[in-house]
Amino acid sequence: MPKPEFIYVTYIETAAEKLWEALTSSEFSKRYWFDTELKTDWKVGSPFALVMNGTTRDVGEVLEFDRPRRLSYTFRHVLSEEARKERPTKVLFVLEPHGKLVKLTLTHEDFEPGSKLLDGISKGWPAILASLKTMLETGTALSIPPAALAIEGFQ
Amino acid sequence: MSKPEFVYVIYIASTPEKVFTALTDAKMSEQYWAGNRVVSDWKIGAAFALKLKREETDVTGKVLEYDPPRRLAYSFHPQHGGMEAEPPSRVTFEIEQQKDQVRLTIVHDGFEPGSKAFEGISRGWPFVLSSLKSYLEVGKVLRAHWYEDEQQGAA
Repeated sequence: MPKPEFIYVTYIETAAEKLWEALTSSEFSKRYWFDTELKTDWKVGSPFALVMNGTTRDVGEVLEFDRPRRLSYTFRHVLSEEARKERPTKVLFVLEPHGKLVKLTLTHEDFEPGSKLLDGISKGWPAILASLKTMLETGTALSIPPAALAIEGFQ
Repeated sequence: MSKPEFVYVIYIASTPEKVFTALTDAKMSEQYWAGNRVVSDWKIGAAFALKLKREETDVTGKVLEYDPPRRLAYSFHPQHGGMEAEPPSRVTFEIEQQKDQVRLTIVHDGFEPGSKAFEGISRGWPFVLSSLKSYLEVGKVLRAHWYEDEQQGAA
């Protein structure tokens, strides 16, 4: 049985610094990430929270902050009781410049077998990263209807 | 051991018709697919070829599904690098409208365990689909330095 994990690669025509800013600043995340704010001071070991429209959905702690190359945090969904019982997972972004492009690799791993969260994030990340790419390349993020993702408890 | 399968979802600010045309038009594919061209008359059972700019031989296949602008499927059999000895795999595109955007899902399956073609396409699709998105949204394709370098080397 394959290890439950989610890996997504996308290429964005931008500078690594700009992409880093977009991944770590609420000013940008609110635009491309379903109005989500990133609450943290980004010091390694500091708490981290994703707050959407004033509701804390996911919490964790900063694991790596190596500007503008590697960003990592633990990730635990706290809105549903079922997900709260699962162990924290790990999110890692790796940024590699290739000429005018940046290759962005997202790895989300350490899921329990049969994790409910894995299903949700597998639907969520492609939308968030597509919107991020569009925002950086055109200046306007995508407004993907949350219901289109068909994630339980996310409308 | 489970059979390898590649699944990728991307959201594009475009229409299903435009996405479908881009996937089936030789001239458009040449733009976003790093000079490679999809060639077929798109009748079910007819020959499909991906004419590779940097190889002597084409990827060959057959049209399996052609349901514009919703579904497209073809078999996929590279004829170089030892991959000609592997069985053909299968590429399926599904296009769904989401408000003013399109969700494009690609499933590439039918590989044997340890397939070399699987390794190649797992690296290739994220770039091709990222470039397709930029092409349709910005009218600009992504240029990969690893192709540019090759071209300079060959000149």
